[in-house]
Amino acid sequence: MVKLPSIHIGKLSLLLSVLVWLALLFVDLVRLFGIINEIESGISDEFTWILEIIFFFTLYGFYSYSIGKNIQSDFLQLLWRAASTGIFASGVALITELFYFSMGDSKLATEPFLKNFFYHVNFALTTIFLISSALLWKHLILYQKNKQVVKQWQAFEFAMLLAMFFVFFNKNNFDYSFLFGMVIILVISIVLSGNLKWIPYLTFKEKWKSLLFLFLILLSTGYLFSRLLVYTQAKNYMVNLTDNLFLMALFGFIFIYAIFSFLVTLFNLPTSSVFEQKLTEAINFQRLSQSIQPEDNEEQVLDILLDSCMSASYSDGAWIEINPEEQNAGINQLRFLDEATKEDLSELIKTQKSATEWASTDRPEMLQPLLIRLEHPRYESILLIPLVINKTAIGRMVLCKEVRDGFNKEMINIISTFVRQACIAVENHRLMNQAIQNERYQEELKIAQRVQKALLPAKLDHPDSFEICAFSNAADEVGGDYYDTYKLDDNRYVLIIGDVSGKGTSAAFHMSQMKGVFHSLIQLNLSPVQFMIWANSALSKCLERNHFITASIFQINIKEQKICHSRAGHIPTLFYKAKEAKSEFLFFDGLGLGILRNKQYENHVQEKTFTYEPEDILVLITDGIVEAKNQKGNQFGFERIRSLVEIHHSKSARQIQNQLIDSLHLFVGGDGMIDDDYSMMVVKFQHSPV
Amino acid sequence: MLRLEKTKEKQNDILSLFGEVDASNSVILDEAIQEIIASGAKSILIDGQNLEYISSAGLGVFMSYLEDFQEQAISMKICGLTPRVYEVFRILGLDQLIPIYQDRAAAFAD
Repeated sequence: MVKLPSIHIGKLSLLLSVLVWLALLFVDLVRLFGIINEIESGISDEFTWILEIIFFFTLYGFYSYSIGKNIQSDFLQLLWRAASTGIFASGVALITELFYFSMGDSKLATEPFLKNFFYHVNFALTTIFLISSALLWKHLILYQKNKQVVKQWQAFEFAMLLAMFFVFFNKNNFDYSFLFGMVIILVISIVLSGNLKWIPYLTFKEKWKSLLFLFLILLSTGYLFSRLLVYTQAKNYMVNLTDNLFLMALFGFIFIYAIFSFLVTLFNLPTSSVFEQKLTEAINFQRLSQSIQPEDNEEQVLDILLDSCMSASYSDGAWIEINPEEQNAGINQLRFLDEATKEDLSELIKTQKSATEWASTDRPEMLQPLLIRLEHPRYESILLIPLVINKTAIGRMVLCKEVRDGFNKEMINIISTFVRQACIAVENHRLMNQAIQNERYQEELKIAQRVQKALLPAKLDHPDSFEICAFSNAADEVGGDYYDTYKLDDNRYVLIIGDVSGKGTSAAFHMSQMKGVFHSLIQLNLSPVQFMIWANSALSKCLERNHFITASIFQINIKEQKICHSRAGHIPTLFYKAKEAKSEFLFFDGLGLGILRNKQYENHVQEKTFTYEPEDILVLITDGIVEAKNQKGNQFGFERIRSLVEIHHSKSARQIQNQLIDSLHLFVGGDGMIDDDYSMMVVKFQHSPV
Repeated sequence: MLRLEKTKEKQNDILSLFGEVDASNSVILDEAIQEIIASGAKSILIDGQNLEYISSAGLGVFMSYLEDFQEQAISMKICGLTPRVYEVFRILGLDQLIPIYQDRAAAFAD
């Protein structure tokens, strides 16, 4: 229901215009009848004029609707519509003329009613042709419109509106005021006729067609105009419909725009290939600048590049060569040349001094395309264009022409632009791939992180007679710190803490080796010092040349309340004695694992045994804690650890550990990062259950 | 930040270290020692009086040459370490393998 009005606007105005025309015809025929029979019909001329103006309006309404609905940017279709209407109107006019010519002086030929009828038919068709063409011209004029053109067109429409009503003012006399109005409208028409932006977009073939259509339009306009003049001179028509400023001005407008278009199209013919070329270049440019998808390959871009450059320079042959050390060295793009000719030309290019100098530049990003003349039977001029990606020349493009000096400045400019664009596309493509790869590495690292987390024990072996907790944090995704526990039997437990030199991935690998070594050797029931000797021997075969591991191992005998401890280059462990309310760092000689990779290691490691009491505390740490620096560059140091433990000795192992970590973070500063892996294990001995 | 300075004194090749040695620049230290060996030095003295910090990666560099030096009869000494840096050498046990002196004079005297 809602859609109905929009469907009917066209039909309604068409119906209305037909009715108005019939009314016009009827009125005029009635008047004619009155005059012939000398009866006063009482119908004034103004009544005809009013009907005529309504007819103009309804036609205008119909065509602006019907053209507006079918608007396409196909200029040829618009021109054809105008031309066909013109041909039809002219055809009818011609048939009428022929009819009267064949009648000669017969009675029918002088029959005023028939004459008047034909006059009205021709008037209607001419009006249709003029109004529809004017509206079609409107679309051409307003193609790629700007504000100024729209204003000019509005002024024109306003002038035409005045011209329609002009008839009331001058009663269809050809006087100065008529001439004045005509001149004004013609001037506006000429100004409007400067808007011919649609013409360059026609292809060569389309231009020929449009010339034909414009010629037909000009012809029909001229013929219809001449017919109207004949009617005017005949003076047989009681009210002259056609000596109307509106129609005359429309004739002028249609004719002027058609002639302008015709001439401009004609003179555009020779240059149309240039415009087409530029349009192709713009399209090629756009194709090149579209970034390549990661799954595409670079060869596609080079393929488009070569084709674009060849068409821009009318080259007779071309190829792209990629430097052998590049990742895409296999790319072989060759156009209109065989391999043998390519080899010949390459050899000839090598003999040119300028070309070898050009190729050996150390600043490829400054390289300009190089023009050379060749003594080759066929290809006389060669253009070398470097393909520079990320400041390195990955290769070059060679364009060949059969004529001497075949490349001009404009060609070289556009080719350089193409090449730059293609290189940017390739570079973006590479960056994109790199980013994807990086993302994959990140994923891999995350997996490594998860795996490594699993290497640290989730549950620490311990009896009820001591509490234990541990903590580890890596500076990078993965780290080289290690801690573990092992239950030898019901009374003996082993603790170990280790630190691989360096950090990151390499340290993480060595850390996993350390875990393997620990779990293998610990089952052999070795004493701590024996463990270190065997571990050194095993790790000597595993570790990289400049890597070592420091470790501290504790064998706790809960039955005897004894600890046997060996230290291999590791940061001394803090031992808090509750009875004396004092703590000390357990320091004695002990060389790191993997430093001395021979038997002599035995001389550099020892073990110490000591007893412990309930409430005593062991704090095993790695150097990341001691060496953590604050903003002033001071280290956290041993003394802070010692005093913190002494202050908080009464708390549980977990609380002491949290206290130490919190203090460490506070020391380093809010957003300060600890630049090393750091780990800690806290053991607190309990009163044996009674 | 690490800065290296190579000099010669009393037939010793002296490598002075300024700043910090950590994982990121231990390669530079390694290269410098290799250059000194390549030049045919038989006695190398590392002057560490301006060395503020050395990480385990830096210690790894010294450690990696121990066997080579023993085989090629090249002597390596370290002198002038600040207490903090000396502590690091001592904890790891490197002081048992590399002679460490108070200053250059003491190193030359030995």
